[in-house]
Amino acid sequence: MFLHYIDLSIRSIKSTPVISVLMVFAIAIGIGLTMTSLSVFHMMSMDPIPHKSQAIHFPQLNIMDEGGEWHTDDNIPYQLTYQDAINLYNADADFPRSPSFRSGFSVHLNTPDVKPTMEPARLVYQEFFSIFERPFIFGAPWSKEEQQSKPYVVVISESINNRLFNGQNSVGKSIYLDNKSYRIVGVVEDWDHHIKYYDLNNGAFNSPEKLYVPFSIAPLEEIGTWGNTNGWKHETLNGYQSLLQSELVWVQFWVQLNTAAEKEAFSALIMAYMEDQQSKGRFNRDNLQYALRNVTQWLKYNQVVSEDNRILVGLSFMFLLVCVANILGLLLAKFLKRAPEVGVRRALGASKKHIFAQHIVEVSVIGLAGGILGIVIAQLGLWGVRTTNRYYEALATMDVSMLLAAPTIALMASFIAGLYPAWLVCRTQPAIYLKSQ
Amino acid sequence: MLTMHNVGKIYQTDSVQTHALRDFSLTVNEGEFIAVTGPSGSGKTTFLNIAGLLEPFTSGQYTLDGIDIGGLSDNQRADIRNQKIGYIFQGFNLIPDLNIYENVEVPLRYRGVPAKERKVRILECLEQVGLASRARHLPQQLSGGQQQRVAIARALAGKPRFLLADEPTGNLDTLMARQVMELLEEINQNGATIVMVTHDPELARRAPRNIQVVDGELADLTFYQGKPATSASAPEKSAHESVVGG
Repeated sequence: MFLHYIDLSIRSIKSTPVISVLMVFAIAIGIGLTMTSLSVFHMMSMDPIPHKSQAIHFPQLNIMDEGGEWHTDDNIPYQLTYQDAINLYNADADFPRSPSFRSGFSVHLNTPDVKPTMEPARLVYQEFFSIFERPFIFGAPWSKEEQQSKPYVVVISESINNRLFNGQNSVGKSIYLDNKSYRIVGVVEDWDHHIKYYDLNNGAFNSPEKLYVPFSIAPLEEIGTWGNTNGWKHETLNGYQSLLQSELVWVQFWVQLNTAAEKEAFSALIMAYMEDQQSKGRFNRDNLQYALRNVTQWLKYNQVVSEDNRILVGLSFMFLLVCVANILGLLLAKFLKRAPEVGVRRALGASKKHIFAQHIVEVSVIGLAGGILGIVIAQLGLWGVRTTNRYYEALATMDVSMLLAAPTIALMASFIAGLYPAWLVCRTQPAIYLKSQ
Repeated sequence: MLTMHNVGKIYQTDSVQTHALRDFSLTVNEGEFIAVTGPSGSGKTTFLNIAGLLEPFTSGQYTLDGIDIGGLSDNQRADIRNQKIGYIFQGFNLIPDLNIYENVEVPLRYRGVPAKERKVRILECLEQVGLASRARHLPQQLSGGQQQRVAIARALAGKPRFLLADEPTGNLDTLMARQVMELLEEINQNGATIVMVTHDPELARRAPRNIQVVDGELADLTFYQGKPATSASAPEKSAHESVVGG
């Protein structure tokens, strides 16, 4: 019977092409706009590393003296000072962890054939690759020994390897970062992320870095950050070394804590460290304060999905509701016009359930067609977002779940629109229409 | 087959009560062919609609094939319509988007008859009304007489024991009307009980039993065969109306 209803639906759509096309377009436009905003929202709010988001943590220390104020909700700076990052990394503990910051270099091969390009780079310790599970195409991360004593090594991304070495294994070869030669130890896949969750400080939706060099290079080459540097008190800086010893915050730090016990142990380590620093004249405050957030908490804390995004999604659903109201009106007109035929069907033995099902299937066919057309409109909308705002390039896309959600929402919307007209028409009293046909 | 005892039907609006049928009692036996006559607005069609379970009655008792219709739900009445009753309407009431074959198929689909069996029955019925060759035509491609024959085929497809015809020849010329009447007689001879509402005295005369409805009441019961119909000259009266509270 279901296939028969689909057949009847297609005939009905063909017999009233104008009204049917209007309904399909109404739902398609509603779905198109809704899915455009919902897709961006979905990409923004999705867990970037679902299997590890509860294990990877970002520590924050309240470095300010008593009375100091920061603009975060909990009054704790959202980055670390260089000295705290180094001290936490060097602390005697077994948890994989790494400080990190974004910078950049002029990349070239010191030959006239290859034009130098400015490429963003991330300064990290070797543990960064395992914490964030960066897959290597060639080679491996540098060793502990290398990062301590022979730090002029680099891990390059696949795209740089393709451009400079035609995709061949470049491990062991050298490239120049600014005016220094670095030995390539590994080639990692390009990081195809939607949210740059490991460095929200530089824009949650920025593009990933294409080079990774040891964090220990920073003091040697006096490498500055490409991100924000903030302070809570007036400090006079005399050169790079004083930046490293300052109370300015500009370094991110990640630690992998797989269990609650590990989290507790690392919390104790932080507290012990802060007490130690307090004894040395820092952290002049009554209550030592720190935070340790996992990736999910970190994204929420940094309000990656802003209120504006939520409002936009809400508005687009309200627009869909307007479309549904229009479809409801069109369906009422269409179905009530068909009441005489329904009267005949009822006389011939159709129950109300039969009539209701027939009309709901017809509405669903219209909804499905609208949903599919809506995906096309959503793709156009997302293309528009991508081309007008490069910042949202990685976000303005539909993944499989959104591709499936589009027809599902369209079906639900059309079902809602069709409920009342279908209910009304299934209540048709056959006797009224049989004589007047 | 059909027993109505003191059946009444009142149409009620905010201010007006219209008695379409009052104290209507009738028994129709299995295999009968009854012509129902009466002036316009006398309640013939209301009687037919109630008999055919197309609308509920207000009072009285109605039993069809041993089933008390009064207590049935809407779905149960739909089932009985589908399984026991065939309808032939003055306006044919074919579904314009469906071809002849599909129109005849409609009641069988609601009955859940398997596709193979449906095909056999449809072709059989179309053959019986002489339209097997037009199975793929749309209703609008047929003449009025042919459309009514399709409607008869549709009514027969479900093998109903009870056939209701409301002015089946009302929209047809004399020749076509005669052909349709001959078809109904043949169906009756094959065992179906037929109740036919008609204005046409000649057609009524061909039915073995005539009843006349006037002002929503059974005015006359006439058993005859080949006798002239007395109902033809019945005066034109509307159903009785009274103003509520007036």
